Amino acid sequence: MSPATQAPLFVREMGLTTRFGLYLLVCLILMAVDSRYSAMSVVRTGINAVVHPAQQVLVWPFEFLADAGGFFTVHNDLVRERDRLLQERGQLRARLQEYQALKSENERLHTLAGLPPAPGLHRVQAEIIRADQDPFTRKVIVNRGSLHGVVAGRPVIDELGLIGQVTQVFPASSEVTLLTDHNQSAPVQAMRNGMRILVSGMGSDSLLEVRYLDLHADLKPGDILLTSGLDGIYPAGIPVARVLQIELPRHNPFARAICQPLGGVGQHRHVVILMPEKRA
Amino acid sequence: MNGIGKSMSNGSKPLIPQGEELARPPTRLMVLISLVAAFMLTLLPWPKAALWLVPDLGLLVLVYWNIHAPRLAALGVAFALGLAMDATHGLLLGLHALSYCVVTFLVLMLRRRLAFFTLKGQAAHLAPLFLLQEALVLLLGLAYGHSQVDWRYLAAGIVTAALWVPACLVLDRLTGRPARLDRVTGG
Repeated sequence: MSPATQAPLFVREMGLTTRFGLYLLVCLILMAVDSRYSAMSVVRTGINAVVHPAQQVLVWPFEFLADAGGFFTVHNDLVRERDRLLQERGQLRARLQEYQALKSENERLHTLAGLPPAPGLHRVQAEIIRADQDPFTRKVIVNRGSLHGVVAGRPVIDELGLIGQVTQVFPASSEVTLLTDHNQSAPVQAMRNGMRILVSGMGSDSLLEVRYLDLHADLKPGDILLTSGLDGIYPAGIPVARVLQIELPRHNPFARAICQPLGGVGQHRHVVILMPEKRA
Repeated sequence: MNGIGKSMSNGSKPLIPQGEELARPPTRLMVLISLVAAFMLTLLPWPKAALWLVPDLGLLVLVYWNIHAPRLAALGVAFALGLAMDATHGLLLGLHALSYCVVTFLVLMLRRRLAFFTLKGQAAHLAPLFLLQEALVLLLGLAYGHSQVDWRYLAAGIVTAALWVPACLVLDRLTGRPARLDRVTGG
């Protein structure tokens, strides 16, 4: 029997209540420090650097099973999907030519007007590896981190539109706060008339809202909202949401618009992190 | 059973370990491995729609050891486990640590009483504590500046309590403690 498991004959330690009080105090101080200052991010990054590899090992069998399931797909399905992808690639190529022409024209106009050229973007492909069990915010973890050049604050999109923003970066992973989070918002512009508004999450998994909308604002159900690029974080022109309905004010002077995000917020596995292009 | 009951009731600690503890004393390694394993289970890729129902297995194992090996797993272990939870889930550091410390403290106060109940009776005692833990996390989050809380997460406390009986049976088997069939049948 090891001495640790035996009750000591003479008690020479603090009472349970005192120890409990001390631990409570330490916890409260920790929380206060963590919420006010970002001093604890080092501790957080350290613990994550230890846990992340273990987690990868845990997730591996599940991914393997999913992959093994994919191995037994029918030949017909593969051929059909290949045809569809080829067709889609053709269409995208055609669109890309148009885009190149527009881009060069845009650059020419920029030089004519004496404006600096719009910054280019560098895309980092990432995969969502898990959703966090967090009752306060809506976050997912993706498998690209500071080792791959990801920086906190960058926008994250999928093939349909904006889905969120990188909020914390760890060595091999980073945390993306989704657009649907209550504290997350994006400056947008209505595509139809260029009206600039702010769209925010409302804590629901599938809806966004425009909180303070002028009573007579010209916004209709069906309008598409694109990022306006005014904040310097989100580049202009990324599709964000479609307006579902306008709620007229009842108790406050502002109207409210309920929108539906266009990007599959938190649904698709593959996302793209937009990084500013490094200039030579 | 009677021997333990007598020695506990007259208030003095027995000098020699008796009964259950004599059969197979819990070791530090056992506690550590079971805690880490339970913690890792909560990190598995659970389906996103059911995240709020995922039971807190780490807390379950912690409470088990609080009852059966209070000298090996007490407030310090609760604090460390809580910190690990907070850091991996990206929450405010100290949120889970504090709530785990509260639960551990209450369980340590209750453990003499709990020893005389069947597993179901123990689950009934522990359910309010697990609920309290979830509620503490949510309320502290609110107090420390989160503007919105997903109250569905309270359900995890109930799920954790419901898992108490199977978890105890599994842990008893794994750690080689003597079977407590007499208690399960209420005898």
